[in-house]
Amino acid sequence: MSKIYTIADNIITSLGFTSKENFTLLMQGKSGISKTSDPKITQKPLQVSQVDSEKLNTEFEKLGNSKEYTRLEKLMILSIADALKQTNINTANNDTLFVFSSVKGNINLIEDENHPFENKRINLWAIADTVCNYFNSTTKPIFISNACISGVTAINTGAQYLKTGKFKHVIVCGGDIISEFTPSGFQSFKAVSENPCKPFDANRNGITLGEGVGTIILTTNDKLVNEENPVIFRGGSNTNDANHISGPSRTGDGLYYAIRNTLKESAKENTNIDYISGHGTATQYNDEMESKAISWAKLNHVPVNSLKAYWGHTLGAAGIIECIAGIHSIKENCLIKTLGYSEHGVSEPINVITEFKKTKVSNFLKTASGFGGSNAVAYFSELNAD
Amino acid sequence: MPIKTTNIMKNIISKYCIIKPNELIVDGKQEIIDTENNKFGAFMKSIYKHYEVKYPKYFKMDNLSKLAFIASEIVLNDKSHINELEPTKIGVILQNSHSSIDTDTKYNETIKDKENYFPSPAVFVYTLPNVMIGEICIRNKFQGENTCFISKEFDAEFITEYVGELLDSGKLEACITGWADYIDGEYSAMLFLVEKNKENKKDNISFKPEFINQLIK
Repeated sequence: MSKIYTIADNIITSLGFTSKENFTLLMQGKSGISKTSDPKITQKPLQVSQVDSEKLNTEFEKLGNSKEYTRLEKLMILSIADALKQTNINTANNDTLFVFSSVKGNINLIEDENHPFENKRINLWAIADTVCNYFNSTTKPIFISNACISGVTAINTGAQYLKTGKFKHVIVCGGDIISEFTPSGFQSFKAVSENPCKPFDANRNGITLGEGVGTIILTTNDKLVNEENPVIFRGGSNTNDANHISGPSRTGDGLYYAIRNTLKESAKENTNIDYISGHGTATQYNDEMESKAISWAKLNHVPVNSLKAYWGHTLGAAGIIECIAGIHSIKENCLIKTLGYSEHGVSEPINVITEFKKTKVSNFLKTASGFGGSNAVAYFSELNAD
Repeated sequence: MPIKTTNIMKNIISKYCIIKPNELIVDGKQEIIDTENNKFGAFMKSIYKHYEVKYPKYFKMDNLSKLAFIASEIVLNDKSHINELEPTKIGVILQNSHSSIDTDTKYNETIKDKENYFPSPAVFVYTLPNVMIGEICIRNKFQGENTCFISKEFDAEFITEYVGELLDSGKLEACITGWADYIDGEYSAMLFLVEKNKENKKDNISFKPEFINQLIK
């Protein structure tokens, strides 16, 4: 079977407009989270990670008319355009598929009754149509809205399509914006932390939300691969806890099954796994459940981090930008510390990364869990790794 | 019957239902017709009673989840052998057009007026389209692949390709799949129980787009 190569990527968050800008600041331990009292977003001061609006419009004006696109569409177009610059794919060809993920899409159009767009633009499929039109795509896009696991599901879905051979290249793009809608909802759940979130920590007190978009390009065409030892997608799985719509399983069974299935598909034993990029939202229940699933999979010793205290929980982008960070951890041979973590606060003795470390990294597991009881896992490794 | 085929079928639709305003069709037969032209809630409740569903959580669900849930109860009715499969081998893969926009709009009403600000977690949790899938999984203890795809229209070709691959690769043994869409009083659901074909019977319906498109015509 053909290998699925990762050949290009982009991240846009509060930390920058490219993967490199973002990853450099992750290596330095810098967070993009800050406090806002913007009345369009929150009724009381809120810690949040936001993309610089002025820079977004300046950068977008180089590509198109800023007024014709919503905030999320601009972010997605910029992100895909930057990823495409790194490779040689013609998006107008029928061998290229677009897969999108977003939880709330153009939700700001529901909140702002005076928005200048046609009403149909509130639909998620309309975002896909708009972005695909920009890139002259001729294939029917796929759009996934699977709560907080959307990004990992989108990568797994794109990879499944490459395996069937129907397409040669898949452009996976996911993102969500910050408006009042999502923060107010999580606040009503009392799930938002007053301070920047503290994943896996004893004093964790909820999530910090973030805005962002990520793009990853996967291909089966090895001629497009520029590196000697590229990072490849090996396998992935989605499962459901079947326990509760807004709370994770108490035992971690759903996430454990997703890890087990992913390793099976990847033909990988649970030994010599170098790194787990966790979900680590810093809610009491999520982090506890994750520690149980990791322990159940006998991966306690594997270094694990959560990147949520750098760029917040970016919902539909999270799975994608965290996979991209994992790929860059392999390329730079380093492990990013879990910002916000100081005192171990989950019941299982998982190996939370506390300091930035240069070390050989050949592979990683990405895990995600979300509302609706969903879990998703993906496994990436260097081409020449077991 | 044009839907019969002599080819060996890998995956078959073992039961299906279509819910549209005032009409329920199960395996091609009109099961309930609502001559009183009831609104969504009353029509769903009549189906709930007809199938003797007993599930108090149903009454907490938003309309999209109610629709998908009721349709799933119908396709799983008298299919107890599904519950004997490994939970992680049973998937729920649905498509819709309007995501959770109906409930998004309702939730937005609770935060619009700053003088009358009452965001509710019970409403907010349904502002995610995949929660309808979660509800079906919780009810039946299904733990396999579960994804919500958003598409302007029902796409039988996509669903058969995607779910077919999950079955063919061995990730799933059975799957509830199809469409459930609700927006502002307008709704439609088409749910299919898809299983691996164990024995060739003349009434089997192959899980292929051309047959699905005939069933839902």
